[in-house]
Amino acid sequence: MNLIAAGLGVVVAGAAAGAATGALAPARARPLATGLLTTTVGLGGVLAGAAALAGQAWSMTVPGILPLGAATLAVDPLSGAFLLLIGAVTVAAGVYSVGYTGPGGRHATDDDAAAGAAAAPGAEPAGQRAVDAGTGHVEAAASRTAQAVLPLFVATMLLVPAAASVSTLLVLWELMALTSLVLVLAEHRLRRSVRDAGLWYGAMTHAGAVAILLGLVVFAAAAGGESFAALRAGAADLSRGTRSLVFVLIFAGFGSKAGMVPLHVWLPRAHPEAPSHVSALMSAAMVNLGLYGLIRVGFDLLGGGPRWWGLLVLAVGGLSALYGVLQASVATDLKRLLGYSTTENVGLMLIGVGAAGVFAAEGNRALAGLLMAAAVLHAVNHAAFKTLLFLGAGSVLRATGLRDLDRLGGLAARMPITTALVAFGALAAAALPPGNGFVSEWLLLQGLIHSLTGTGPPTVVVAVSMPLAVGVVALTAGLGVATFVKAFGVGFLARPRSAPAAVAVESPPSMRAGMALAAAACLGLALAPVAAAAPLARVLQVMPTVRDGAPLADSGVRLQLVGIAGSMSPLLIAIGLLVGTAATAALARWAGRGLPRRVAPVWGCGGTRLDSRMEYTATSFAEPLTRVFDDVLRPEQDVVVTPYTESRYLIESVRFRHRVPDRLEARLYPPLLGAAARWGRWSRPVANGSVHRYLAYGFVGMLAVLVVVRLSG
Amino acid sequence: MDHSIGLRPPVSETVYVQTLNLICGALLLAAVLILWRRELAAIVRLLVVQGVLLAALAALLGAREGSSELYAVAAGVLALKAVVLPAVLRRVLRDTGEVRETEPLVNVAASLLAGALLTLLAYAVSRPLVALAPSPATQALPVALAVMFLGFFVLVTRRRALSQVVGFLLMDNGITATAFLATSGVPLIVELGVSLDLLLVVLVLQVLTARMRLTFGRTDLDELRELRD
Repeated sequence: MNLIAAGLGVVVAGAAAGAATGALAPARARPLATGLLTTTVGLGGVLAGAAALAGQAWSMTVPGILPLGAATLAVDPLSGAFLLLIGAVTVAAGVYSVGYTGPGGRHATDDDAAAGAAAAPGAEPAGQRAVDAGTGHVEAAASRTAQAVLPLFVATMLLVPAAASVSTLLVLWELMALTSLVLVLAEHRLRRSVRDAGLWYGAMTHAGAVAILLGLVVFAAAAGGESFAALRAGAADLSRGTRSLVFVLIFAGFGSKAGMVPLHVWLPRAHPEAPSHVSALMSAAMVNLGLYGLIRVGFDLLGGGPRWWGLLVLAVGGLSALYGVLQASVATDLKRLLGYSTTENVGLMLIGVGAAGVFAAEGNRALAGLLMAAAVLHAVNHAAFKTLLFLGAGSVLRATGLRDLDRLGGLAARMPITTALVAFGALAAAALPPGNGFVSEWLLLQGLIHSLTGTGPPTVVVAVSMPLAVGVVALTAGLGVATFVKAFGVGFLARPRSAPAAVAVESPPSMRAGMALAAAACLGLALAPVAAAAPLARVLQVMPTVRDGAPLADSGVRLQLVGIAGSMSPLLIAIGLLVGTAATAALARWAGRGLPRRVAPVWGCGGTRLDSRMEYTATSFAEPLTRVFDDVLRPEQDVVVTPYTESRYLIESVRFRHRVPDRLEARLYPPLLGAAARWGRWSRPVANGSVHRYLAYGFVGMLAVLVVVRLSG
Repeated sequence: MDHSIGLRPPVSETVYVQTLNLICGALLLAAVLILWRRELAAIVRLLVVQGVLLAALAALLGAREGSSELYAVAAGVLALKAVVLPAVLRRVLRDTGEVRETEPLVNVAASLLAGALLTLLAYAVSRPLVALAPSPATQALPVALAVMFLGFFVLVTRRRALSQVVGFLLMDNGITATAFLATSGVPLIVELGVSLDLLLVVLVLQVLTARMRLTFGRTDLDELRELRD
């Protein structure tokens, strides 16, 4: 029996059962039932993906399901990699959702946000809030709609990589966008910002879908068929201009879903505002489908292209990585920080894909394969640690109702297990050994560095772009460390900076289990990435201009690069670190055994009365960075000094406001939105409400079409 | 497209062509008269005439093809377009008490001129269609197209809700005639579906007209202008 078919069967059946349960089950049973069914859907995806990566293939055609014809599904190793990734994220998020949507806990509301910053203008009338003021408990994420849509969302997400025709892909893509939009809006009654986020997300995802639709329609029309097999066969006969048009359109479309700069604006809004298990699904799983689409169409269906495609992707990737990590390093909202970090990591993946495209166009298959493998592996690694971190942020949010790092702190003592798990995730996200992010970034750097030491002198483009890319990756990694030191140090260590943080309690077992699953995946990927060598080689076989043996060799515990000199053993590094740490600790203890001991507050500088106002906050920690990158970030500050009326020398209050707006968004989007609004106003008289006029438009339009057809025929 | 399949058709060629042309001519004439008349009662009578002509067209094609299914279609068309729909319209007419289409957006003389232009256009744009399979039936296609255009024109230029229904029915008559002429008769099931749709639309429009009269006291469609955002 074909395991892929079985897995996808479980996905579809589980989604149907989950949606029905979410819609019909009583509120008390809903979290457990839908959570477990969502997990089942994820297990189906894992099964199908693992089978595909092991070398099985499967395809199916369901006639008459779509208005335009048959739905076609096919799974190859590339689909399998993403099926496995999404399935695994779903398993963790599904288990986690049982506790997260269960009773108890707090979720952020406008009230909480208002305490930190000025209240949003025109705050909604109090009657609309479904907040139980006594406990602050909100069940928006557990609502009937949200619970019923969750399994559907993960199922459509799992089916997207299995789609094997343009219409199937587009229908599933739109269903995925629609279901995720519903989930983003789950808490729309609690915070105004959710509605903004939903609007941004809806508009951007729609624009992206239009770009993909245009690109694939042009492709299908030129290739003479809409199944992926027909596209593959017809791609070679396309003119150069058509191929490039298709590539640029699908790059923009899939890139906007992946959150690349400058189409990222929806991501740091929508991902934080969704319920946390949905954030994890969106940030760890859904963005990767943008990468999947880019690889599938660019490298498989179009079969690779000229060098400038690769350079374009490389440049956008570099920009995304730098901009994402810069914004993350100065963000104070924990989930927003994680959202920007997603943009950063997508940028790193795009650097890998773009560089692979450059080398594929130059015929250097060894490097192209290595870089593509690094990009796909980084997608998997990013999914693992981003799931863990978003789930951790959700636990914090549920325990305290806070996302603002400046008001958190001191959670290590109150939520020890969550803290330990998040610490491991932050280590991975900072790309430090022994985290799993380190492995794929190391591969990426190896590929970029060895571009200059290969056989023969490098071309000018490579000689210029690759060192730049190395610099970008290095700077990104450095800032990433600062970002996650800040997120973890300020959020979890030290003393609580607000009352809710001081009374936080550890999350329920199911949430801890969900995070532990993600952490286990991180650990496995960190210690045994050699296991990924054979599946990655199968993934690369899908791409005609890249495939060339295996890029990585599995030599016991060492990860050996094929074709270029380089090897690393993550396991040995981890063991070395462990032994080194233990030895240092033992040595310190041994050296200080005879000295007198005194108990004092850590970092107290001799002082004994430390309070939380003396601590570093997220803002102050990021202040040097804000200063260094002042030209890029352009922080806004205003100081309002209010004197007493009696004397202007006596000051009643000083108000200081500091924020770092998304400068790209502030510069690029208002002109666009303004133009759209002007166009709308300008065209208002066209629709003046007269039925006759509307009918006349139709009539004249029909006559014009007939005349044009007649004249051109 | 006449498939005589070697047998002698039940109707002789000359009679068939003459009758076909007569019916199509009368259809167009009735449509133009609808443009000309402003008495709503007279317009409804003209619609009855068109319904009868359409039924006759279906029956003629049925006789030509020797198909009993087309006779059934003819009976259905007659019942719907010559009896049921006009009855509905008369009821609307009686309820609203409006007898004339006052102040159309385009006056009668200009309407007739536009009608002539639209008919010319119909002939111009349908030439490739006719050239596909020249036969007496397809030669008459432009007439059906012209009826459709005239119906749309009525829809665009007349103010009263009842006139809108008339324009819609005229358009549908044009479409039905096109279907008959281009395919030598449509299957019963298709015609049944279309007829049901049509009946439903007219009933909805009747309700709408009644509501408009209740709200505004008259049924001028421009009263709906306020409904925009």
